[in-house]
Amino acid sequence: MDETQDTGMDRRRFLTVLGVTGAGTAALSGCSTDRVQKLIPYLVQSEDQVPGIPTYYASTCTECAAGCGLHVKTREARAIKLEGNPAHPVNAGKLCARGQAGLQSLYNPNRVRGPKNRQADGGTADIPWNDAIAEFAAKASAAGGRLAVISGAGRGTFSDLLAAWTAALGGRVVRYQPFDHEPMVAANRQVFGVAGLPSHDFASAKFIVSFGADFLETWLAPVENQRGFAASHGYHDGTKSRHVALSPRMSLTGMNADEWFAIVPGAEAAIALSMAQVILAERSSAPADAVALRGMLAAYAPEQIAQQTGLTADQIKLLAREFVSAEPSLAVAGGIGSQHAGAAQLCAAVNILNYVAGNVGTTVRFGADLDAGDGYAALAALQKQMEAGEIAVLVVHEANPVYALPKSSGFAAAMAKVPYKVSTALVLDETAALCDLLLPESHGLERWDDLRPRAGVQSLMQPVMEPVFDTLPTGEVLLRAAKAAGGPLASLQAASWEEYLKARWQGVAKARGAGDFPTFWVTTLAAGGLYDAAPVSAVKLAPGAQSVVGTSPAFTGEGEFLFAPSASSLLYDGRGTDKPWLLENPDPVTKITWQSWIEIHPETAAEYDVREGEILRLVSASGSIEAPAYLYPGIRRDVLSAPLGYGHTSFGQYATGRGANALDLLAAPGDAAFVPYVSTRVRLEKTRRYQKVAKTEGSNRQLGRGVAEAMSLGAARRGLTPEEAHHEEAGGGAHEINTARELDAIAGFAAAQKAATLKGNYAGDHPQWGMTIDLAKCTGCSACVTACYAENNIPTVGEADVLRGREMSWMRIERYYEGGEEGEPLETRFVPMLCQHCANAPCEPVCPVYAAYHTPDGLNGQVYNRCVGTRYCSNNCPYKVRYFNWYAYNKKAFPEPLNLQLNPDVTVRARGVMEKCTFCVQRIRGAQNAAALERRGLRDGDVTSACAQACPSDAIIFGDRMDPASRVALSAADPRGYHVFEETNVRPSITYLAKVLTGAEA
Amino acid sequence: MAHAYTPAQTHAEVTRDVVATLGTPSRGYVMMLAGAVGLFLVGLFTFVMLLKEGLGLAGYNPPVMWSTYITTFVFWVGIGHAGTLISAILFLFRSQWRTAVYRATEAMTVFAVMTAGLFPIIHIGRQWVFYWLLPYPNQRYLWPNFKSPLLWDVFAISTYLTVSTTFLVVGLVPDIAAVRDQVSGWRKKLYAACSLGWTGSDNQWRHYTRGYLYLAALATPLVLSVHSVVSWDFAMSIIPGWHGTIFAPYFVAGAIYSGIGMVFTLLIPLRKMLRVEHMIVDYHFDNLAKLTLFTGSILFYAYAMEYFVAWYSGNPFEQVTFWRRAFGPMWWAGWSMIICNAFVSQLLWFRKIRTNLTALFIISIFINIGMWFERYVIIVSSLSNDYEPWAWGQLNPTWADWGILAGSFGWFGMYFLLFARTFPIVAIQEIKETIPFPRKRGGH
Repeated sequence: MDETQDTGMDRRRFLTVLGVTGAGTAALSGCSTDRVQKLIPYLVQSEDQVPGIPTYYASTCTECAAGCGLHVKTREARAIKLEGNPAHPVNAGKLCARGQAGLQSLYNPNRVRGPKNRQADGGTADIPWNDAIAEFAAKASAAGGRLAVISGAGRGTFSDLLAAWTAALGGRVVRYQPFDHEPMVAANRQVFGVAGLPSHDFASAKFIVSFGADFLETWLAPVENQRGFAASHGYHDGTKSRHVALSPRMSLTGMNADEWFAIVPGAEAAIALSMAQVILAERSSAPADAVALRGMLAAYAPEQIAQQTGLTADQIKLLAREFVSAEPSLAVAGGIGSQHAGAAQLCAAVNILNYVAGNVGTTVRFGADLDAGDGYAALAALQKQMEAGEIAVLVVHEANPVYALPKSSGFAAAMAKVPYKVSTALVLDETAALCDLLLPESHGLERWDDLRPRAGVQSLMQPVMEPVFDTLPTGEVLLRAAKAAGGPLASLQAASWEEYLKARWQGVAKARGAGDFPTFWVTTLAAGGLYDAAPVSAVKLAPGAQSVVGTSPAFTGEGEFLFAPSASSLLYDGRGTDKPWLLENPDPVTKITWQSWIEIHPETAAEYDVREGEILRLVSASGSIEAPAYLYPGIRRDVLSAPLGYGHTSFGQYATGRGANALDLLAAPGDAAFVPYVSTRVRLEKTRRYQKVAKTEGSNRQLGRGVAEAMSLGAARRGLTPEEAHHEEAGGGAHEINTARELDAIAGFAAAQKAATLKGNYAGDHPQWGMTIDLAKCTGCSACVTACYAENNIPTVGEADVLRGREMSWMRIERYYEGGEEGEPLETRFVPMLCQHCANAPCEPVCPVYAAYHTPDGLNGQVYNRCVGTRYCSNNCPYKVRYFNWYAYNKKAFPEPLNLQLNPDVTVRARGVMEKCTFCVQRIRGAQNAAALERRGLRDGDVTSACAQACPSDAIIFGDRMDPASRVALSAADPRGYHVFEETNVRPSITYLAKVLTGAEA
Repeated sequence: MAHAYTPAQTHAEVTRDVVATLGTPSRGYVMMLAGAVGLFLVGLFTFVMLLKEGLGLAGYNPPVMWSTYITTFVFWVGIGHAGTLISAILFLFRSQWRTAVYRATEAMTVFAVMTAGLFPIIHIGRQWVFYWLLPYPNQRYLWPNFKSPLLWDVFAISTYLTVSTTFLVVGLVPDIAAVRDQVSGWRKKLYAACSLGWTGSDNQWRHYTRGYLYLAALATPLVLSVHSVVSWDFAMSIIPGWHGTIFAPYFVAGAIYSGIGMVFTLLIPLRKMLRVEHMIVDYHFDNLAKLTLFTGSILFYAYAMEYFVAWYSGNPFEQVTFWRRAFGPMWWAGWSMIICNAFVSQLLWFRKIRTNLTALFIISIFINIGMWFERYVIIVSSLSNDYEPWAWGQLNPTWADWGILAGSFGWFGMYFLLFARTFPIVAIQEIKETIPFPRKRGGH
């Protein structure tokens, strides 16, 4: 069966065209390569695309090296939403905000729309693919081995092909990712003699210590980490794990710690070794070979090193005892926030700590061999060759080293020494802008591919739609170039990249003893790949363990502040900055959108007379940056921070020129094995210029209003309600200010109110949709926010309107601080806030035209067509979860082809109407229709909201709260359950479960 | 017998002087009219821009979803209250000193309500479907929501506009006839048409005085009800700072207070410009000032009571709202309202001030500013910090806010100035009624 032949206008083609909207047809047919390919859907194994019925394809996320599995929802042959693949072992159906925003990478209006080459006059011109490939093949084969490739592609068939292709020409490939965990790789080699990255089992760890590892943000596989973390750290069965974070700056991971210690920067390794020393001195259960470390560790006794760490000796001892008595525990290190010159020694120290506590083999499992690149050292070596003129042709693929390396490293200058540079970038980034030939790659959702993110996991990617632009998979380019060039490349022959990939998978099938390849292929493709358990290899201490040192690294430069840049889960290494969804989704820590900032401790700010929004200049020996000040209590007084990912000079309309590039302050890494992000001292200069900070935070204190409730673990165990827990804390029994007669009257009034809310549309003879949100699990990661934007066609409004508080996020994550003043520990509470779908909704009676009304199934409906825009409903909403279209956001938020991402099941709201969370009514109706076709009622779990679907912590449960057996009804009955602003008698459908705090005593 | 408020004139002189106000306009008048039209054009331009681009041009900053437009709406509705109070309630109470000023205040009422009526349309998101707020028959059985205070507003305002316009027109008829008899040419034709065939016969007068009395009785409850309904836009909500039982009387008192303030602002220059100083005299202003003092003191009490109730209720939401009203980011607005209204009005205890027109004019400016800020504070400051602290936000008005505010003054001023030159701004008939009938020879 030839699946690639052009069948002309047959029935299938006709139906496809019929289903696509006018605009979509124009855009798709205008760019399509006019091939009809049969794709294998995952859930609905249907011959045809049925207009109006979504088709799901399994694929793999390429937004970071974790390799999460995707389910791509397509409608009428275009991808409209990315969700996690439940079968995939890394993410188990969940997906972070950045992964979901991969859709905006696919439809990004700034994509390179076809191959281009540099003309004699220095400009670029569009050329046909054949010419481009011929030029590429000729240059590459003429390079005579002076060919180098920098590739950020994960391990997989493509990287194998690339390696073989480059090797055939005598060149070399450097696999490079900016956040490559080089310190961990080095530490594993030193301490255990193994090169691979282990997997970490957060789910079974009972005590987690993070030495600056931002495992909820950028560290290894954040979605997997968060799933595990929420499973253990969420309150379950009367218990929860304890998490202690040690870092100069409180990252999102630190905000989720039960205790955060603002330790002296660089002291992490000493603390880890000191803990190991305490454990070895006090316990005999450590592995036998660890005892040999006693001598080496003696120098790190808490009393000796405590002074230079910011902790007391007793604190270190307590930590060590808690750590070892929780079996198993887990210590992690190696994130961006602690990537100083001593980071490799820190990771080595943490390896030793895990080893002496018996965690290696239980919560730290070697053998998974998580994908890592070749590290910065390999890139630096290549740079030296480039500078020496030893490279004639440089190919840059899925990497942007000109941006990702500090300017001081001189990578751009080194590139200038290379006569011919090729880029496959999707968007004209800083590196591609310097290249002579652009061979734009097809997005991961437009091409065949596979990834092996860890041992045992082979994850497939398949094209879910026609390419949006005139792009090709780079695998295809390599194969066509091989055909064109011949010679040493002659061995790399395949009809197409797809055939090449299938051929490899035929090998996989044969190795697994699968008889019939087509069946194997279809099944594997539908499942998204092959998932075997990762092998666990036992490791022993290597001799290098004896030479681990815990001395603080030297920080370079002059100035009284240490500069510690931060990396967010949204923008990551800067690749997220070209996507409006990620720019408008507030930074989980500072809640700032669309802008970069400089974090300064409020006391330091007072000392320097700095107010929020004053533009500060940070000066180091290597450069300076300017950004508005943000007063952040979660940072040491002697440390300043700025986010990575901003300050692009070429990365499309959204990123270019936005904010300051924190990397400009860093000195050239030189011969370091990795980029030490925390290495420079800076001088703070005031400019006395001010700028409003585009943050979504109104007040960061909840003023005792009970929005985000919390209780101690003890109180939760005894089954107290949040209110009872408060009374107890306040010392003493219930303090009742009302007399018995008044109480009777109040109860009677409440009963009458309740009776009134059970009539008509409120009767409850339909399902009553409800939700529970477990604050003990919510980490504030904001994946739900992007899921909501994607599902509900929410427009991004841009910086100017966020400055006026006009962001449209139906789902927002509120971040409240508790304590943090006068020496109290700073506690952070996250509250996902969305329409509460009140049974006694204050927004409904005030609408003069019935645009806000109550549906029989308990939804607080909003009829966009009827809304005239008086905005009274929003005024009267205690939760402030209604959003108004001040401008025609629908026209400017989705420039073509971003409009192709729109969900056809959801109205795109026009100017002048109010909008709000609908509990994903389209998903409810879709599930109801599907159930009706099967002649059955809805079952619990048939329908879930987009936010609940995405939540990596499973903090959100959606369902029918009238069904006593439903998960939502059962979880809402938890004594921790409470309603926000219950005193307003609005009877919300959302029950929050109070956060559970674990003190040191637990 | 002559009162202090009665001009020492004959009936004929009264007619002459009032008709003289309709003569060739002075330079000052033309400039003021040009200014008013200019301001109106600014407002018109702003409105067109709002229609074209969206309400985002104004400074709205959620959670402040209502701001200067609703503030100005309530301001103008409030202004409209003094007129009917003076013309209807004082008529029923036989307070004859009202005669000299009631026509001007009544005209002010009608134009103020006309101005206010524009704002619900300007402020909604989809101005082009404003008629959906009206209960008109349609095939889709769509009906407005009678539970919504905004709908009550629609009825309150439209009723008030209808009744006060009728009242004004009816009161004008004999005076227009008087003017008709004094002029010639096309003006005579115009006034003849407007006088609806008035001849001044005993029969006509008998019916007229009865009808006028009934209309006054009909208009009287509206003085109290309209602004009560407007206040319920706020009081019926659950916003701390809005949700108060005191709101209806508090708003009515404020409305009358602001209305009389505007009467001062309009009449003090106008009487000079139209040369009717001998008809509108100190005595009138003294009485109006007493009324201002009375309503201003009610406001003083209401402000104090709002703070007291916020404290006494023990409701932390109310307490924070009022604390922030006085000491929060909008403290300056909160204190301008209290100083301009509660404190400045207390100056009127002094007769010297009540009869000093310069002082009254300055005080009236304070009253206008204070009453605009009262609504601004109630609306904006309450919305900017209600239940959910995370969502708090501060309003930052833009040119589009000020453009519409300026336009509303232009729109109002334009109509008022045109009216003052077209129709007798002093009620000829009623003034004549207060003049003792001459013994020696008949007048008119």
